[in-house]
Amino acid sequence: MQTLIPTLLSACVSAGWTVQTNADRATAALAASNTWGAAWSILVSLLVVALLVTLLGLGLIYLERKIAALFQSRLGPMRVGPYGLLQTVMDTIKLLLKEDIVPDKADKVLHLLAPAIALTTPVVVLGLLPYGPLAQLADVNIGILFISAISGFGVLGVLLGGWSSNNKWSLIGAMRAGAQIISYELSATLALLVVVMFAGTLSLSGIVESQAEGWWVWRAPLVGLVAFLIHLIASTAEINRLPFDIPEGESELAAGFHTEYSGMRFSFFFLAEFVNMFTVAALTTTLFLGGWMPFHVGEWARFNEVMDHIPPLVWFSFKTGFIVFVIMWVRWTFPRLRVDQLMHFEWKFLLPVGFANLVAASVVALGNWYFYPVA
Amino acid sequence: MAHVESSDVKETRMRVAGIEVPVSIVPRLAKEGYRGRFSTGLRGLLSGMRLTLGYFFGPVITQQYPENRKTLKFPERYRAILKLKFVPMKEAITSWDFKRRDEGLPKVDAHTLRTWLRGYEEVKYHKCTGCGNCEKACPNGSIKVITRYGEITEDRELDRFIWRMDSCMFCNACVQACPHDALEMGPEFENAVYDRRLLIYNLNTQAGAAARFVVEEEAEMRRKMMAPREVCGGPIPLNGHYLPRVEPLQVVPLLDGPAPENAVAEVAL
Repeated sequence: MQTLIPTLLSACVSAGWTVQTNADRATAALAASNTWGAAWSILVSLLVVALLVTLLGLGLIYLERKIAALFQSRLGPMRVGPYGLLQTVMDTIKLLLKEDIVPDKADKVLHLLAPAIALTTPVVVLGLLPYGPLAQLADVNIGILFISAISGFGVLGVLLGGWSSNNKWSLIGAMRAGAQIISYELSATLALLVVVMFAGTLSLSGIVESQAEGWWVWRAPLVGLVAFLIHLIASTAEINRLPFDIPEGESELAAGFHTEYSGMRFSFFFLAEFVNMFTVAALTTTLFLGGWMPFHVGEWARFNEVMDHIPPLVWFSFKTGFIVFVIMWVRWTFPRLRVDQLMHFEWKFLLPVGFANLVAASVVALGNWYFYPVA
Repeated sequence: MAHVESSDVKETRMRVAGIEVPVSIVPRLAKEGYRGRFSTGLRGLLSGMRLTLGYFFGPVITQQYPENRKTLKFPERYRAILKLKFVPMKEAITSWDFKRRDEGLPKVDAHTLRTWLRGYEEVKYHKCTGCGNCEKACPNGSIKVITRYGEITEDRELDRFIWRMDSCMFCNACVQACPHDALEMGPEFENAVYDRRLLIYNLNTQAGAAARFVVEEEAEMRRKMMAPREVCGGPIPLNGHYLPRVEPLQVVPLLDGPAPENAVAEVAL
């Protein structure tokens, strides 16, 4: 208790952080031959991820429906619970109780495996994101590389799902998803490289700490903003959200790759989409908006001190929430792109701009031409 | 987006198949360059986002229907039921009083007015003269105006205004056709019933002359001029007029002895 309260207090103030991850705690406990302590840390990590997936699934689906309703001058769910808060809980129960149908000619094993793969990748990413200086499960020193590799792996679930369903809609949807993710992964990675170059590290915590003087989105003149926009667009395409949701375009492909899924397996795909949205928003926040870092402006000591008194978790949630809102806002505003328009946009516009931006960013990084440069 | 200025359009004459015809030559739309397309596209996306954000913070149109029954708000143009406009006696007399004043007749004193009003507050008077314009205007034949000979007015007056909701398409033509402003469309929409015969309404609660003729009579006379009519009551259709393919409806009070076999319980309408 005597150690817990100062820890909690220091977690509440954004000043004087030393990053300590749960993995670090487990290692320290093991070094002190405290096996139970290490086990406790691992258990906490598992529980946090499980809780996050559940809460994100329930919360984001509810939010999506509410926000969609408000964008259309409606109220959204209002019947189940106060302001419809229990709607997603009831929907989950309904999905759990539904019959799990596997088509007769489907590849049973792959059909079973696909939703699990689709959900695994965002869950792995959840374990690596820095939510706060003391709230990170593991800080991998190749964090960004690992995350971009893992999130590229996520398309395997979609591809397998579409392929194993033995249905032409599903297959077309899956192939579209594959083409789309391979294309947009490039732009997303080019935008990531800009930040990696600025920060000089691949570790996510390192990138957050490099933004103590100011977030990369504005500190690097223009290139930061361009990289931020490219990353946001390419990530939206990667998670198959509107206006890039051609893999499950209802008007053309019934439901695309998950046409043949029902009940709990369908909900896995659904959950994966929403957790993916969160991970994309959190990653964008971490890279470009300073993660849990408060808003600091160079020499304004007084201002910075006030900002320091807002806890890092609040900063992180606020920024991630904002990005999630923008993604939803875009979804409920723009129409879906055609397949050729999608490819045209990536290969003829986003990719060249990404490369040009990378070159410009390397010049900026070499010249140390940031606002508030660190010597 | 690209558009053509009217000054760019050239007006000439051209010979087509041996006939000279006037021709306007419109310049071909110039294809926008890469930068132009980029900026129009970006502007389009941004204005779309601004619009939806306006909706996001704007008012919510949805109403929580069964809960807010008492405070439901209807759009002005919403039409769910046809109604006769009713004039409360007091209002009718006041307007008639103004008419007397305009014609130079002496104002009715308060005592007389009170005597006239006594016992008439709950009676609503319609403005229908039974001219039948609405019946002629109705494209579906959903209206039947049945008139009678008024003993006191010695003229034609309304007996029953029959409206078939089951065949009405709520086009509002009857309301527009009415020369006396006697009809209106109301928003009362909970009109579902289990027997389609109950969709035949009798819109007037009182048979008799229009309000502007009634108010000119003495109180005793007025009572004699009017006869009560129920919304769905009596043998429908009435006065020997039968609507096609509809059996006369027997409305029997619910708690008055054993109901006859073909009876339909009275429904509040």
